[in-house]
Amino acid sequence: MFGSWTFAKKLALGYGLAALTLLVIAAVSYRTTDELVANDDRLIESYAFQAALADLLSDLVDIETGARGYVVTGDSAFLEPYQVALGEVKGHQSTVTALVAGNPARQSKVAAMQPAIVRKLEHARKLVDTRNNAGFDAAAKLVANNEGKAEMDQIRAILGDLDRQESERIGSLVAAGKTNAQWTLAIILWGGLAGVVVVAAIGWLIIRSLTKQIGTAVQHVSSSSTELQAAANQQATGLREQATAMSEITTTITELLVTSRQIAESAQRVAQIAAQTAGGARSGQGAVDLAQDAIGGIRRQVDQIVAYMLDLGRKSQQIGAVLDIVSELAEQTNILAINATIEAAGAGDSGRRFAVVADEIRKLADRVGGSTKEIRALIDDVRSAVNTTVMATETGSKAVDSGSKQFDDVASGFRQIAELVGTTTDAAREIELSTKQQTTAVEQVNIAVANVAQASHETEASAGQTLQTASELAHLSTDLARIIRPQAVAA
Amino acid sequence: MSDNRAQFLDRAAALRDAFDRSFAEPLPPDPPPFADLLAIRIGTEPYALRLCEIAGLFADRKITPIASRVPALLGIVGHHGAIVPVYDLHVLLEHRAVDATRWLATAADTPVAFAFAAQEGQLRCRPDAIVPHQSDGPARRHAREFIRIADLVRPIVDLGAVIAELRRQVPAKLNAANLNMEEC
Repeated sequence: MFGSWTFAKKLALGYGLAALTLLVIAAVSYRTTDELVANDDRLIESYAFQAALADLLSDLVDIETGARGYVVTGDSAFLEPYQVALGEVKGHQSTVTALVAGNPARQSKVAAMQPAIVRKLEHARKLVDTRNNAGFDAAAKLVANNEGKAEMDQIRAILGDLDRQESERIGSLVAAGKTNAQWTLAIILWGGLAGVVVVAAIGWLIIRSLTKQIGTAVQHVSSSSTELQAAANQQATGLREQATAMSEITTTITELLVTSRQIAESAQRVAQIAAQTAGGARSGQGAVDLAQDAIGGIRRQVDQIVAYMLDLGRKSQQIGAVLDIVSELAEQTNILAINATIEAAGAGDSGRRFAVVADEIRKLADRVGGSTKEIRALIDDVRSAVNTTVMATETGSKAVDSGSKQFDDVASGFRQIAELVGTTTDAAREIELSTKQQTTAVEQVNIAVANVAQASHETEASAGQTLQTASELAHLSTDLARIIRPQAVAA
Repeated sequence: MSDNRAQFLDRAAALRDAFDRSFAEPLPPDPPPFADLLAIRIGTEPYALRLCEIAGLFADRKITPIASRVPALLGIVGHHGAIVPVYDLHVLLEHRAVDATRWLATAADTPVAFAFAAQEGQLRCRPDAIVPHQSDGPARRHAREFIRIADLVRPIVDLGAVIAELRRQVPAKLNAANLNMEEC
């Protein structure tokens, strides 16, 4: 049961028992000392009473002696003790009266002595007055009648009785005081010894119990401090790694912050460019509308060109037909000229002139034929060019149709582009806003991470301090164990 | 466009001047000798016929085909009231026969006609431009002479040799005609 008590309980019990022992010793000592003091007071009172009695007696003796000396010598020098004692006797009487207060026996004796004192003082004054007034003889008679002596004897007897009784009382008080002092010394001695024994026993029990409990606790503290040391070391390592990681995260977030700012700037530029593109798309749509009108005009012009070209082709065909006739005539002329030449050659010398004419006709026919061929070639070229032009024009017309359709598609595309660019502008602005918000968030995260890194550093320092404290605690537990169980530590 | 028009006008003016000048200038008192040839084309090869060996040139004459064992005989045609046989000159000159033989030349002094696909006009040249066939030149059937004009060499068909060949193939009919070919 005692082993499960707390330190406070054990210490309270130990100190309580010690205090109780001391209290008993103190109470007994107090009581005996108090009785001793009271005994001393009574002794002092008795000694004071005896002194007051002696003073009163001395005053009365001085009064009697001074009065008788003055009576005998007439020298006023003898009156000086008389005067002094006469002045003090009242005070001493009051002291004696005060000292006997509460003691009826003494009061009765003192009361019985008061008239005698009055009469003695009256007798002495009477002697002095008589010596002064009537001279020595009258005064000597007063002395001789023993009136003063009887008063003085009565006073002496009462004072002697009081002094004896007081001496007896002093003797009994001294004996009682001695007894009390012996008791007090015995109590102090044996009580102190008993207290020492009790305190030593309690201390031994407490020390034994506390040593056992503190030793167990110190072992636990030592084990816990070792574990705490390992944990603090591990925590410090982890916090260093965490601080390093936080530093890397801070660096990464800083780079991310820079990137976010660049993205925000790019998004802003994209928004501006998208707005410009939207303006350009609107301008392009207007230009496309104008181009569509122009293409309509071109289409009409192309149709007219096709009509003209077809007409030109027909005219070329007509020219070709006429030219066929001319060509045939030239050929016939040529044949005729050749035959004429043949005939002229057959006519001999008479046909020479005719041969010249025939040759000229042949030349003319050849030239006409050549020109006809050239014209035909030209007409063919014209017809080919017309056909090519018509085909090209038809192709151009188709291209214009296709272009018109493509322009419709382009116009539709421009409208879509304008709409999409508007959407892109909104999206770019949203991206810009979001990126700015992200930048702000990243800045806050950066600050938070910096704070966390700072906290990690501080925690690392705290872990170092914890490690140091754990080490100190381990040393302290070792020291404490050495203090409470040196043999165990040494083992 | 204006340049072409001016060019054509200049050319027409030149032709007109040449034509007028031919009648304005006096005839040369002793004109240099010349030879008249008819440029023809047999297949893709250029040939020439002496005008003195033909009696006439005709185009698009209707040829009435007749059955014959002679491959070159195309048919007969009427000429100045006589009926003359028409032979394909391409076959006679050992070229591939063609479907369209538009031109027809009648031989002088012999009632026979030769058909060919194309004629390229009359040629008039000096006699020394006509050169005999050389042994190292390309061989042409029935061509003993050649004429060179602007790097183009035309074999001159010897119609007499052609007619002699025909005579060897169909001697009875041709002999019945009793015709003679003379040098011109």
